Amino acid sequence: MTCPLNGPRNISEFVYGGEVVTMPDPARSTDAEWADYVFLEENPAGVVREWWCHAPTSFWFIAERDTVRDEILRTYPAGEVFKDRIDFP
Amino acid sequence: MTAMRKSFVHQPPSVEADATAAARMGLADLSLRPRTGFKGPGTMAWLAGQGLVVGEAANIAYPQSSGLLVAKLAPTEALILGGIDGNEATIDTLDRTWSIDTAAGCYALPRRDTHVWLRVTGSAAPVMFSKICAVDLRAAKFANHTIAQTSVARLNAIVVRDDLGATPAFHLLADSASADYLWRCLIDAMAEFDGAPIDENALHRLL
Repeated sequence: MTCPLNGPRNISEFVYGGEVVTMPDPARSTDAEWADYVFLEENPAGVVREWWCHAPTSFWFIAERDTVRDEILRTYPAGEVFKDRIDFP
Repeated sequence: MTAMRKSFVHQPPSVEADATAAARMGLADLSLRPRTGFKGPGTMAWLAGQGLVVGEAANIAYPQSSGLLVAKLAPTEALILGGIDGNEATIDTLDRTWSIDTAAGCYALPRRDTHVWLRVTGSAAPVMFSKICAVDLRAAKFANHTIAQTSVARLNAIVVRDDLGATPAFHLLADSASADYLWRCLIDAMAEFDGAPIDENALHRLL
């Protein structure tokens, strides 16, 4: 897999971090919505967006992967998607 | 086995033999030498304020006129190694100047208590590394002052190429809790290249 910071590395250097999902508003979401966000994954067959971590550098980034063809399509820094800081009250 | 375990307090057989080993395949323990680090969005600005010159590219090490080596591990993180003559005072000054109140967005990341610091030297070093590290460290593929943060002997490690004169040489930093394991892995991997533990004084002979 190609780490956006370190370049191509053996897959054994990477740790999976779950699907990239949008966080519901913690103050307004129902318990069911929050449980779905925290615990449940869609696990679709096709193109998925996932968190991965390059363990030697603790660098978290996003990978787009085709689960049907078992192919990594693209990796990029999380900053491309998450541009704003979220402050919790 | 006894000889291997003694290696952290290595006593060289002779300065001459050590220098020969250093040029061919040597391993020195620099863990007692000064080093430090900083991390955070304000890190590069703060380091520039301390007179350190660090370029744009990450995973590159930037030698300073003071002898320090600033290894830029990420756009917001730097590891600072003392030079061959120590730079104890310079590193101390950096550590004492830094304060959470004045260094905006820059956080101390001390490396003395967390990382073992080894120096792998010699013409056989890049080939030896190919046994324990997946990144190609041969001279033509891995330029001087390039950094690889990768797995070495299955440990997370930082490898910095920093040649001594014309001799290929690498800094190798990894979790200090695994220092003994890493040392013995390296001694084992070096054996077929007639590698030997060397005293850090032998490093001067390569310059």
